[in-house]
Amino acid sequence: MNLKQFYKLLLLIVLIPILSSCFEVIEEITMRNDGTGDVVLTINLSQSKTKVASVMLLDSVQGYKVPSKQKIQQELNEAVAYLKKSPGITNVKSTSDFNNYIATIGFTFKDVSNINNITKNILAQQKIKATNTSSYSYNKATKTFSRKYQATNTTKTEFNKLKSKDKAVFNGATYTSVYRFESPVTSTTNPASNLSKSKKAVMFKSSIMDLINGKINVSNQIQLSK
Amino acid sequence: MKKILIAISLLFLAKLNYAQDLAKKIPANAFTVATIKGDNVFKLMFVKDFNESFVGKKLLTETSKSLDKNFTSIEDFGINLEKNMYYFNQLSDSITYNCFLIPLKDATKFEKLINDKDKKIKTEGDVRTMILPDSSSIIKWNNSMMYFVTGSIKSSFFADSINSARYGIKEIRYQNNYDDVAMADSAVMVTDSAMVSTTEPVVEVVAPPVAEGWKVHPPLKKQTINKSKTKATKSTKKKPAKKKSAKKKVIIKPKKTEEVTEVEITDSPIMGDQDAIDSTMEMTQTGKPDDQYDEYQKERAEQDAKKKQLAFVWMTAQADKIFNSTYESIETNKSYTASLDNKAIAELWVSSLQEVYNSIAPEFGTYGKAGLMQGYGSLNAKLFMDDKSFRISTGLELAKEQADAYKKIMNRKLNKNFLKYVNSEKAIGFMGYSIDTKAYLEEFPKLMKQTYGSFLGKNMEEEIELGTDLFSLLLDEEAVSKVIKGDALFVINGLNTKDVTYTTYEYDDDYKQKEVTKTKKETLPDFLFMFSSEDNRLMNKLIKYGINKNYVTVNNNIYKIEEKKSPVDIYFMIKDGIVFFGNSLTEMQSISNNSFNTSISKAHKTLLAKNNFSFLFNAKNLVGKVPTEEIGGEETAKKFNETLGKMGNVYMISNPIKGNMVSADICAEIPNGHENALKYLFSLIENAAK
Repeated sequence: MNLKQFYKLLLLIVLIPILSSCFEVIEEITMRNDGTGDVVLTINLSQSKTKVASVMLLDSVQGYKVPSKQKIQQELNEAVAYLKKSPGITNVKSTSDFNNYIATIGFTFKDVSNINNITKNILAQQKIKATNTSSYSYNKATKTFSRKYQATNTTKTEFNKLKSKDKAVFNGATYTSVYRFESPVTSTTNPASNLSKSKKAVMFKSSIMDLINGKINVSNQIQLSK
Repeated sequence: MKKILIAISLLFLAKLNYAQDLAKKIPANAFTVATIKGDNVFKLMFVKDFNESFVGKKLLTETSKSLDKNFTSIEDFGINLEKNMYYFNQLSDSITYNCFLIPLKDATKFEKLINDKDKKIKTEGDVRTMILPDSSSIIKWNNSMMYFVTGSIKSSFFADSINSARYGIKEIRYQNNYDDVAMADSAVMVTDSAMVSTTEPVVEVVAPPVAEGWKVHPPLKKQTINKSKTKATKSTKKKPAKKKSAKKKVIIKPKKTEEVTEVEITDSPIMGDQDAIDSTMEMTQTGKPDDQYDEYQKERAEQDAKKKQLAFVWMTAQADKIFNSTYESIETNKSYTASLDNKAIAELWVSSLQEVYNSIAPEFGTYGKAGLMQGYGSLNAKLFMDDKSFRISTGLELAKEQADAYKKIMNRKLNKNFLKYVNSEKAIGFMGYSIDTKAYLEEFPKLMKQTYGSFLGKNMEEEIELGTDLFSLLLDEEAVSKVIKGDALFVINGLNTKDVTYTTYEYDDDYKQKEVTKTKKETLPDFLFMFSSEDNRLMNKLIKYGINKNYVTVNNNIYKIEEKKSPVDIYFMIKDGIVFFGNSLTEMQSISNNSFNTSISKAHKTLLAKNNFSFLFNAKNLVGKVPTEEIGGEETAKKFNETLGKMGNVYMISNPIKGNMVSADICAEIPNGHENALKYLFSLIENAAK
């Protein structure tokens, strides 16, 4: 038994209790009154770093091929390259931290609706079927920001097709969105969202399981003071 | 005197009982024998219990349904449940027989299982025969036993044109019409040898296949067509003469056969001729591939039918032999009889691993050189079930030379000091092994040569010899064996919770993001790996190098491997001729300052100390030890703990070499509250089906 094999054996044992992991998905949008703004998307797997680090040392886990660090970095770079070419998008940046397993991607948009197709296309590029109808819009005249999200049954059925072991990966995963504005917010339509003290930011937090199951909807219409 | 008489009569009875066993019907050259020991099975579970069990009920209702009858007990099948049931196979270069021998108690009951609407059963004396619809298998029975045989022709046998010609079978290859000629040619050449070799099983039934076979070979007509081809003309010259001589040989048979053949010859060649014309035309035009393919398919089907027919003839003869003649039985085979165990509930014996390889080797083509796996003899496996456990015991017979090599290699016991570091109360599992490194390094090249030598071919022997010598030259076996003596133990002494830091975000009143570091508890198994080493100079040099390069840090003689990629910290140290690796600093420290709490159980001690290889998994020590949130929710945790709770100890050991046999046991203990392993197995099946 060479050292590498030994290490793998060891990892399998370490992995016994495994694969429920905690991770965070964070979406931050800073809107300016003129309709332009910035987006930062963060995926943080830090809470599960022991497990992720173990998984990264394996070739595959539960029948899925584990991507190498290089592969992940490459995919991230591809996403950045794609964004740079997208209309209305500038100032694209990304970070990746392979010690804590945190990756971010951020950019500036001319109009918030520029984002709408991007997510879909990126997902399509990665061969992930985007089944949600999700969109952002900002009406400069009425100063209304709206996030629409239609949870479709396809997500749920697709998810239910997964093995229970694989589903467990999503237990404890959270989704957070923060929308920041220059003008104070007068009203929001989503009761699950919270308004900051300064009234200039709206936060929404949910477990990813609830989103998949359609228990909670992220749709929100935010009215800014005129 | 009375006692002696009783003893003798008992002996006689025993002998009688023994003789009634169907094993005597298994030919001595059987290749594999598998046994289910009815009496031992139904000792663990009465027939009545079986009928009432989930599995029993299912079996009875399903058979009742499919046969449109009403079975209430497995005894209704007419099988004698107190005797052994056998499966065996027989291999030859041309056919493989798969056979079942089932003892019968009530033949009429058994007959009810067979739907004999078409009156297919033939009776000869007390032997009844039924041929299954596509003639692929035969069932034969009398009042005390049932025999089922199915045979499959080996394609490799008929790939050899000599053999195929002998039985009048053509090997059909797509778009390869030259073969026809070539084959016919070679076919005729072999005739003599075919008739001479009478050892083949075929001989008993030679008449039908041979008579029929001849029709394949084209008569003169075909040759005239082929004239245009130089290749063909060549063979035409040869053919007639040979053909004649061949025919003569056939005619040795009674006149009737001859007549039949002649009729067939005039009949069948027409087909053959057309083929020939067709194919030659196609050859020149190189067109109509579809037709050609159809033709190929048709011919293939024809040849397959012939092979099947041949298999059936052979099978019939084989089945007749089982019922009507006496022959040397497997009971004369010492290897077989030695493999038996009264207590086993099922047994498997394979005559020779080397032969297994050789028998499948021709199918591998060029790579299938015989001689691989040399030195590996018979293989056996036995299944035991009792009130404590399931146990599978396997054995492999080695050639003396090999067995001696293994004996040398296995001549080492686990370092007794290892046992101090097993905590049986908490241990989730361990694996220990001990070999003599020096002997291993010395014997290894020899074993390799024996096992794979012929794979590389005869011409390579010198090279192998060279390689072996080079290996010995490069390695100082003695020196290596001092660094790594050859015994090691890997043990998981329970789970431990440790704090892990992670990064997350907090938001202020204005929802401004702030990165924060938090800690959380994580449950991880504590592993400890140790091996004996007498000579630490190399290790020490490595450590020194590691420290210089900052790969390793040291604190009180405990070294830590600085590897960022590793999800857990790994420590190591050297103490009392043992090298330790582990992920628990506390455990390492307690070993270092002699405060390790030794509490190895007697059972674990025996397992580790007495065997060259042992492995144990104790699931119970895992139950409830992993926090629910780490498994992924209550439901998963419940399932996880339930499954583990149902498992007893599972262990695996290698036994010392006895004679030329290496053997190993796998054992799964059953949890308390179950009468015996068989009943436990049934309850598991029932639960799984729910």
